[in-house]
Amino acid sequence: MEYFSHSWLPFLYLYGLGGLFFTAGIIITIKSGSLDLKNISHWRWFWTLIFGLIWYMSLHASLTLAALNLISSAFILMGCVIIISIFGAFQVINRKRIK
Amino acid sequence: METGATTFHNIGTTTDWVVMVIYFLAVMLFGAYFGRYTKTTSDFFFGGRRFSWWLITMSIVATGVGSHSFVKYSAKGFQHGISSTMTYLNDWFFVPFFMFGWLPILVYSRVRSIPEYFEKRFSPSARFLATILLLLYMIGYIGIGFLTLGKAVIPMLPKSFVLFGMTFPVTLMGAIIVIAIITGIYITFGGQTAVIFTDLLQGFILLFAGFALFFIGISFLGGFDSFWNLLPTEWRLPLADFNKPPDFNFVGIFWQDAIAGSIGFLFMNQGLVMRFLACKNVNEGRKAAAVNILFILPLSAIVVGNAGWIGKAISIADPSVVSPDTSPDQIFVVVANIVASPGIFGFIMAALTAALMSTVDTLINATAAIFINDVYRPINRYIHSKDRGSNVVSDKDELIAARWASVAITALGVIAVLAFKNFPTVYEAHGYFHSTLTPPLVVAIFLGVFWKRFSPAGVITTFVGGVALMLIGARYPEFFIAPFDHGIEMNPSRPYSYIRALYNTLACIGIGVLVTLTSDFQNRLLVIIRQRVSSKAEMKIVSIIIGTFLAMVIMGSGSLSIDTTLSVLIVLIVPIITGYFVEYDEKKATKGLIASSIFEAKIMFKGSTPNNKSGEKIEVNFKIKDKSSSKVYFSKNDMKRMSADPGDLVYVCDKRKWLGGLKSIHSVYGKPHNDSGVVYINQSQSETGLFSDGYTLIAEKEM
Repeated sequence: MEYFSHSWLPFLYLYGLGGLFFTAGIIITIKSGSLDLKNISHWRWFWTLIFGLIWYMSLHASLTLAALNLISSAFILMGCVIIISIFGAFQVINRKRIK
Repeated sequence: METGATTFHNIGTTTDWVVMVIYFLAVMLFGAYFGRYTKTTSDFFFGGRRFSWWLITMSIVATGVGSHSFVKYSAKGFQHGISSTMTYLNDWFFVPFFMFGWLPILVYSRVRSIPEYFEKRFSPSARFLATILLLLYMIGYIGIGFLTLGKAVIPMLPKSFVLFGMTFPVTLMGAIIVIAIITGIYITFGGQTAVIFTDLLQGFILLFAGFALFFIGISFLGGFDSFWNLLPTEWRLPLADFNKPPDFNFVGIFWQDAIAGSIGFLFMNQGLVMRFLACKNVNEGRKAAAVNILFILPLSAIVVGNAGWIGKAISIADPSVVSPDTSPDQIFVVVANIVASPGIFGFIMAALTAALMSTVDTLINATAAIFINDVYRPINRYIHSKDRGSNVVSDKDELIAARWASVAITALGVIAVLAFKNFPTVYEAHGYFHSTLTPPLVVAIFLGVFWKRFSPAGVITTFVGGVALMLIGARYPEFFIAPFDHGIEMNPSRPYSYIRALYNTLACIGIGVLVTLTSDFQNRLLVIIRQRVSSKAEMKIVSIIIGTFLAMVIMGSGSLSIDTTLSVLIVLIVPIITGYFVEYDEKKATKGLIASSIFEAKIMFKGSTPNNKSGEKIEVNFKIKDKSSSKVYFSKNDMKRMSADPGDLVYVCDKRKWLGGLKSIHSVYGKPHNDSGVVYINQSQSETGLFSDGYTLIAEKEM
């Protein structure tokens, strides 16, 4: 695949190894009790953390696709707006749940 | 500077200089206005732990954008394209550890500096070593900041100037010294509150200036499609090539920045840590970190790198406008000058240099905090313990010492520039610096927070043995670092600038884990040693021998086998020496200081069991009542709405949200009264909270 060592190989390394560190962080903080999923505020933070990983993965994937001319660069902006809107809606719904 | 690269002088017009001077005066006046809120060392360093997340988020923009500067990312954007954004978009992996490990521990344990944590968690000797490493890290960081500032302003200055008939050449070091004097004056008289508010203003201006440059540049090139299509595919990809070239490759930068750099920035950058500690509570700190990393950093990546991308596109479209040979570290200034009109260029340059000054200010303030907390106070405590009759140092004396420390640290920062000024770009200097200095502290903090068994023997050996192994790695890279190089070609003049972070981190982790896992064996050995009558004298002699070994490794014996043998001996013997001399009670030392004991940390913070019942925020008016007690007094009804009991912690702030918590206090609930909607506070609380008569307050229970 053309540009593989410049595109998908670093992507896989970044989110493979980085994802491993991230997952270890989630597991360790849950096991230590500092991230307590029974606490509604922590539960919200847990999903915010997961969102963050997906957000960055989507950002890198869409930028790579746009660079390789597989999607339009305008799609990136649209994608960002959609993802942020979903996250915003999720936060508002959860805030109402907490109240 | 790049060898053979085109460099510039005298860029800009008189209008630009006028705009720059006005901008700087305005920012300094703004900072001085908020500097008047600095009354104690707590205000000077931590802004009184009172601010809202949004204020801290925006103030971090100026720090983050300044340190990961316009200069270095524009340079990489010009040389390698959009992949210059890599380092801004890889910080999320360690956020769970930060939000639910390090941040609550820092807040609830009430530590004021990272070395202080090492004393509480391990021993005073661990604090001593952590202080040395952290001061080196912070002063090096200040040096990088000054170097970047110098490189940013040099293109705007003439090659020389005439004063009293004598010609003086304008040099990089000369420019840096002048900048350091201006920076030192500002921080010395401002303090953390001034820095936070100046950075808040500059955070907005920086984002505006960066995007203004981006849109003006895109327009100059004829629209986004023209810009995008001009860039070769390699320049459009968001990640660099996996392992080439040696000066900019993905895998090296992953280990140097995403791992060592991100953890270093979040966990041991005292400047950033102090910003989070200035938040009113842990949750606000989490919000500030999340919003900054998720949304502000991607925007910042565009802001700082776009001049390089536009410069590359212009150099392809018309090499006579921007030469492909332009010095990468000057591309930001060159592009800004080409695409922006006079005045606008001055504004962009003012925003850039002011942002860099913000970063340096924050770092100087943070380093002064470490000096006061970890050098000045312990020395004074020691002196006063010898001389019981004298008084303990007053807060006023500490504030004066903090200001003098800021001056000295500024001077040391200028000297540190000498270590970095010969790197071809600021980016490489910064990468090398991060790869080398962060691993021992990062590993020590990490294992300390998340591994209960990690003891003083582990942490001290990680520091001492880690430094030894890192030094021999730097001296014999083809032997120690090459096995981890992922196929990166070794550049003999600057071997493995980035991937050395992997070797350094693994060496430190390996030592920490090895020493901790063999602690039972060490304890058995210590029992045997202690049975000897002359054990104390013998262990002192062994310590001197190991100190000599370390000195030999630092100076280098010239032989791989000797250096390696000495380093291995250091790693094997330091845990025994530490175990012999350092008294350590694991149960006591880990209470409230590791991730698994955060609930205990909260109990220690509050002084009793936290009240986790959810309650409302309420509006109240304050009345002054002369009481000797430091508590605040609400009505029964208001306490019921807040689900609060006497003895719980409360945060009271001015209702005006735009103040971001500037006017606020933390206190404890006293016995309730019957006047609903009124809180009784004393005169001192009113002054500390900067409360104004006639303004409503908001109160909320903390825990």
